Amino acid sequence: MIVVGPILILLALLGAPLFAVIAASAMFGFSREGIDLQAIAIEFYSIAEMPILLAIPLFTFAGYLLSESGAPRRLVRLTGALLGWMPAGLAIVSLAACAFFTAFTGASGVTIIALGALLFPALQQAGYPEKFNLGLVTSAGSLGLLFAPSLPLILYGIVAEIPVEDLFLAGILPGFLMILLLSGYSVWKNRAVRVPLSDFSWKEVRSALREAMWEIPLPIVVLGGIYSGYFAISEAAAVTALYVLIVDVFILREISLRKLPDIMRESMVLVGGILVILGMSLASTNYMIDTGVPQKLLEYVSLMVTSELSFLLLLLLFLLVLGAILDIFSAIVLVVPLILPVAMQFGVDPVHLGIVFLATMQLGYITPPVGLNLFIASYRFDRPVVELYISTLPFFIFLLIAVAIITFWPGLSLALLG
Amino acid sequence: MSRIESILSRLEKAGKIGEDAILVLILTTMILLAAGQIILRNFMDIGFIWADEMLRMLVLWLAVAGAVAASRNDKHINIDVLNRFLPERMALVVKVLVHLFTAIVCGSVAWHSLAFVQMSREFEDVLLGRIPAWILQAVLPVGFGLISWRYGVFTVKEVLRLFHKARPA
Repeated sequence: MIVVGPILILLALLGAPLFAVIAASAMFGFSREGIDLQAIAIEFYSIAEMPILLAIPLFTFAGYLLSESGAPRRLVRLTGALLGWMPAGLAIVSLAACAFFTAFTGASGVTIIALGALLFPALQQAGYPEKFNLGLVTSAGSLGLLFAPSLPLILYGIVAEIPVEDLFLAGILPGFLMILLLSGYSVWKNRAVRVPLSDFSWKEVRSALREAMWEIPLPIVVLGGIYSGYFAISEAAAVTALYVLIVDVFILREISLRKLPDIMRESMVLVGGILVILGMSLASTNYMIDTGVPQKLLEYVSLMVTSELSFLLLLLLFLLVLGAILDIFSAIVLVVPLILPVAMQFGVDPVHLGIVFLATMQLGYITPPVGLNLFIASYRFDRPVVELYISTLPFFIFLLIAVAIITFWPGLSLALLG
Repeated sequence: MSRIESILSRLEKAGKIGEDAILVLILTTMILLAAGQIILRNFMDIGFIWADEMLRMLVLWLAVAGAVAASRNDKHINIDVLNRFLPERMALVVKVLVHLFTAIVCGSVAWHSLAFVQMSREFEDVLLGRIPAWILQAVLPVGFGLISWRYGVFTVKEVLRLFHKARPA
């Protein structure tokens, strides 16, 4: 019996689909407790009892559509017109555009493919050092994860059972802190080059705005609708999906009807992958809570730490390791239900915990040896992955500083909540 | 052998087309229903009682259909730490184990979902007003059965490759 746990962990490390590993552990737990194994189906079925889950397929589809359309190019042009006058203008433009785009595409690696492909050659041409460019584009691929309506924020809200709207507000300042630190590094690093992209020109701003006129209403409708209470999250997602579909397929005609099924399929493969893990972990989590795993965890943690501060430090270290091996979605559904009660015992606000959790998991995207963005960038830019380990390192360090600030300064996350 | 392979590949092709069609159908219905509901409620003051329930069902269906689609190319979310560093043959052996494990687990989930669906049928649960719940819940055994089948096929193919490599004819 005792060998089952390690065997399952080994299978997970050897690349077994995580949902199958979680399902096996849940079924094993149920059978040990003498619970009928139908429970796994009953728990999975509760996916149909969470109305907010509707937001996940709809936002994901909208994000995939946007990345296949001309939106990335227009976004880069508009950001360039607005921010390009700064020193190291193009680098800052890249960070801002990637962050904005990732908020909508849900940090699935799409950003590197859609925006990196535009920005990397442009940065090269502008004379920035190649190592810097690779690091920048790779790290920026998961920037913006803390901005609404990113998928991980929604998923955390669902799992932690706290209002997603609160998380949307809480992510704003920490998200800006990350962009600010990376921008600062970019300016300092390129002090020798320090090329502004272009002079600021109202004419260019106007023309870029006109070109992006179909995308500009999106953030206004989505965020305005949610914060004003006019839309529920899932309604905002529905409006976004339909709007993007109509604009890109029927008005701008940048995506042909024939290509549409492929995009739908590709985005739903990701959604299916996330939801099947969520469904299975509903079963395993319930089992673990029933058998008192959070209490045992609390007792264990209490032996090591006593204050909120030392708890946060331990949490940060744990999440850094977790982020290096587990993807953000699995980490949320598996780990949050277990650490949330413990964190609350130590006086950590659940909203703050969410921001810390996601900010640290964001680092996981570029943590060697298996950070997802490292491999996507290696594939996309045809570089050995080791070169990416090295080029992302300075960015990693600055993001780590940002994560530490976010962790130990709860006010930064909670300020906008009032 | 080649006949089995040709049947398998034909099944695969049919499966792909059916799967894509179902995904497109569910997602399109979902978008239209979710958006349509907002428009009707806000501009015409009409609401459907069944729309919310139907949307939640569609999410479940989409989750399973998406999971089946993800199993087509073994695109499920996993941790891929050790495999990158294993020698080719060893990696293949590991794949056989891992895929066999997945096939068995999914088969077991399908089996127990079937029991769940049968129970719901006996109790005559009803959803969306008058549709028997078990018809909508049947997506669970069918979906996980299909995933199990896919991983079973992977396992067989990899075992064949393993023997092929051991004895180059």
